[in-house]
Amino acid sequence: MDKLIEANLMAVLRREGLEPQSGDLEQFSEIIELYMENLCQLHSVNLGSEELGPVFRPEWK
Amino acid sequence: MGVAEKPLYYLTIHEAQQLIRERKLSPVELTQAVLDRIAAVDGKLHAYINLMADGALAAARVAEAEIAKSRWRGPLHGIPFAVKDQLDVEGAPARVRQFTQGVGDATPVRKLREAGAVLMGKLHMSSMPGAPLPLPRNPWNTDHITGGSSTGSGAAVAGGLCLGSLGEDTAGSIRNPSAFCGIAGLKATYGRVSRHGLAPLSWSLDHCGPMARAVEDLAHMLNALAGFDPKDPTSSAQPSVDYTSALREDVKGMVVGVPRDYIDECAPRTDPIVLRRVDEAIDQLKALGARIEAVKVPTLHLATIANAVIYYNEFWAANRGDAAAVLQTGAAQRRARIYLGLLTNSSDYIQAQRIRSRCRAELAQVFEKVDCLALPNQNGPAPRVEDVGPIDTLFKHVVPEFHGPFNLTGLPTLSVPCGFSENNLPIALQIVGKPFDEVTVLRAGYTYQQQMKWYEKRPAI
Repeated sequence: MDKLIEANLMAVLRREGLEPQSGDLEQFSEIIELYMENLCQLHSVNLGSEELGPVFRPEWK
Repeated sequence: MGVAEKPLYYLTIHEAQQLIRERKLSPVELTQAVLDRIAAVDGKLHAYINLMADGALAAARVAEAEIAKSRWRGPLHGIPFAVKDQLDVEGAPARVRQFTQGVGDATPVRKLREAGAVLMGKLHMSSMPGAPLPLPRNPWNTDHITGGSSTGSGAAVAGGLCLGSLGEDTAGSIRNPSAFCGIAGLKATYGRVSRHGLAPLSWSLDHCGPMARAVEDLAHMLNALAGFDPKDPTSSAQPSVDYTSALREDVKGMVVGVPRDYIDECAPRTDPIVLRRVDEAIDQLKALGARIEAVKVPTLHLATIANAVIYYNEFWAANRGDAAAVLQTGAAQRRARIYLGLLTNSSDYIQAQRIRSRCRAELAQVFEKVDCLALPNQNGPAPRVEDVGPIDTLFKHVVPEFHGPFNLTGLPTLSVPCGFSENNLPIALQIVGKPFDEVTVLRAGYTYQQQMKWYEKRPAI
């Protein structure tokens, strides 16, 4: 697995007090790398300042 | 094959309900026929993880007594059905809830029971915790998988082990096994069917829905399932209609959009036989009177990864309290989802939500000009069991494909069989509608089904 991704994953696991199951990082390295690669694609589109995210509405119903 | 020649376990819900209503078929006789079928072939298919035979026969006897007293509840009265493990059942909470409590009967289960349907038991799903269970096998060829994660729901319906089932779909889990097993499946609009009592994978993407042999069966099931549920905060108050009103053999004048650019983008990862069968199905819709229009949805190529980001983040959030235990004892798919959720930060999640809004806006524009979309439903025919690893499904979830975009946008989506591969494995067409317009997708699917009659073919098990 890419060293930076692995270091990042280990850091967030530590922050959460979690440990990966033995062998998981090797077993899942391909899907993790593909996911991270496609995650970059998600940011490839420029949405500018469009307010498109979750919208807060104050009504109760 | 006429109704009289069919084994009882292979009747459609629509056929069985007519016989039951006319008192030509007893719910007890039908339930016993299905139990006998389960005894005969579930050793090969492995669809059930919890067969509730005594309860089923007791419910069938109650149905029979009510019908004998002219208290027919409707088309599901006396019809044997089964549910994906992910849904809670009184006395049999979702096994996939490794560390959380069930709620008794999930609302969809309760609604089917109230409609008089006979619960046969709970069905296998992929990524269950605990000791590995035998993987369900595809009734069309038991060397092949059923698709998932509603694995047992697909195998059970196709194999004659129930007449209808409930599945759950977060990234294709109703449509994929429906396609692989040659049955019909409906992911209704998000909010149309209650999620109360459904062990969550992703709160904003999970859809519960019916799977059955024929489109008209889905309409009967949706009539019982649809409607507002105060126990589900995302349940919609949009009024339901009689979905059997869709059962007209008519698409004359219907405008069917085909997202050709997106299909072409997915084509390198799609078996050519799927593309061919889907093109044939679209041609058939045209021959039946629909107008076919190529449409463009510019951000659709990002919808699958956006769906995955939301899925894994919400999965992580839903499982955070038990994550240590999941990482030690959970199934591989569940462990992988936690790692992927942890690797995604808040700006990724918000960007995914913004992509979601952009896709919805683009689709809303497209749907000003078309009544529904038609596109493939799978990357290929069901693969062989030996060729599929424990987390292979996840690879499909992160590159552009045909399911995730419609979980992301919550649109009603039907899977309907559209032929077979050279080695006799089913292939399906996907039909997508406007929000809460299940009637149009059912109508298009029903018209096509009645013309082609693929659902009349039965696997030899």
